[in-house]
Amino acid sequence: MAAPAALYVLAFGVYPLLRGVGYSLYDYNLLAPRRTHFVGFGNYADLLGDPEMRRALLNTALFTVSAVTVELGLGFLIALALWRDDRFNRICLTLILIPVTITPLAVGLIFKGLLLADYGLVGYWLAQWGISPRGLFASTATALPTLVFVDVWEWTPLTALILLAGLKALPTDLLEAAAVDGATALRRLRQIVLPLMLPAILLALTLRTIDAFRVFDIVFVATAGGPGDATTTLMLLAVKDGLSFFDIGRASAIANAMLLCIAAIAAVYIVLIRGADRRANGR
Amino acid sequence: MRRALDWARRLFLLALLAFFLAPFLWLATTAYKPSSAIFSIPPRLTFTPTLDQFRNAFAVFDVPSLVESSLLIAGFSTLLSLVIGVPAGYALARSESRLAMAVAYGFMGVRMIPAVAALIPFYLMMRDLHLLGSWVGVVLINAVLNSAFVTWMMFSYFRGLPKELEEAALTDGCTPFGAFYKVALPAARSGIIASALFCTLFAWNDFLFPMFLTRLDSKPISVALLSAYGTKDITWGTLGALAHVSTIPIVLIVLWLNRYFVQGVARGVH
Repeated sequence: MAAPAALYVLAFGVYPLLRGVGYSLYDYNLLAPRRTHFVGFGNYADLLGDPEMRRALLNTALFTVSAVTVELGLGFLIALALWRDDRFNRICLTLILIPVTITPLAVGLIFKGLLLADYGLVGYWLAQWGISPRGLFASTATALPTLVFVDVWEWTPLTALILLAGLKALPTDLLEAAAVDGATALRRLRQIVLPLMLPAILLALTLRTIDAFRVFDIVFVATAGGPGDATTTLMLLAVKDGLSFFDIGRASAIANAMLLCIAAIAAVYIVLIRGADRRANGR
Repeated sequence: MRRALDWARRLFLLALLAFFLAPFLWLATTAYKPSSAIFSIPPRLTFTPTLDQFRNAFAVFDVPSLVESSLLIAGFSTLLSLVIGVPAGYALARSESRLAMAVAYGFMGVRMIPAVAALIPFYLMMRDLHLLGSWVGVVLINAVLNSAFVTWMMFSYFRGLPKELEEAALTDGCTPFGAFYKVALPAARSGIIASALFCTLFAWNDFLFPMFLTRLDSKPISVALLSAYGTKDITWGTLGALAHVSTIPIVLIVLWLNRYFVQGVARGVH
């Protein structure tokens, strides 16, 4: 019964991916299809020396690391605050999830509107007080950190929810026994909660890392990669090259480089989660 | 001390709630502001409510057609993903082969593909199949990512359900498909609802695929949201009004089915 799904994914998912690997080996532009010719790893070699690509890689790495760090830290605090199962917490949890469900495109537009320097509800005052005269998205120094802020707003509730599920799965008798034995709250957190929650933490970490690495929607609408190339991410670069400039060869090479990075992140996750499982079972 | 800590915890949560909800409420309320209030300098929070923005939005955009495309895309891609994903998850969960786990991980991996890596070759594939410009292509590519996700999710769900009932049904002369359809499927109801919810959310909110795969007459509301911003004479008010058809319904659906959403995320953990 798994065959239809497997065949479907192979035909419409894996097959196009393999075609993409093929395209990346050609100089192939839809605007000049007759000039198509095989260049081997030429597209990849070009990318290595390309300043635009380096900038995109750096931006994506900075964005991913800072967004995921804040989301995990803040998410854990929220999960701890929501741990006890009472009415107040249940209502809070329901409402706090709203950012996760909003169209990411709309999220980008909301913050763009709020932060406009001329008449934005927040941006106007930031400009008046001299904090950000042209708007946070319009300055090279603040554009990327502001996108991190938007991503944190959008996805911290999801990390909180994953971590909360991990907290709720903890054996309560063990924690109570430790409390009775006089272990301080900090010690219980470090020696019982964190090690037992490792699978949940790893899951949140991996999901968010991969999603932040492929960030597109909010960047596309809020800054479109600018000012200059201050917020150009890998995904944005690939979409621009491939579907606006129709340089299929180059765009496919960027997309495949991203695919390799994500595979590497996933592989690290699988190795770590196997280790965590083994330790948990050995206890 | 304990009391004080509890109050501090509640205050912390209320502050967070304000932080996470305020931008959303701003978007929802712009729809009722007159343009003069939206562009007022300095910006102010009070305004006299009006329905002008809705009139404007409905005059500029063919809202029913946009909603129709969105519903077709979300509906058919969710249906297709469930029809092939649920049985696949079940089969992998009940398989004794060691390969099953690897295949399940493979399905999870598909969900992590960066959209652009699939989109560029898929775009050319749709061009060759003459499906470019129609919502069918969007359904097909959405269903790749979503059916893989459903397979993974239902795999983990069915593994948490006891086999005994199905085995009893089999000894009573039920076919394997009958055991799946009559016994396992009803038992997995909440997992299926959660899967459907995630698929719908993903397909409804996505705009990258339809932006390149559809044309004017088949574009969904998410793409229109973008053009609402891009056009010069259209304001944030129009955007707020459009959000009442594009964003707010899906938020309300998730609030309504919140239990399944939370369960679904928790399911991913185990």
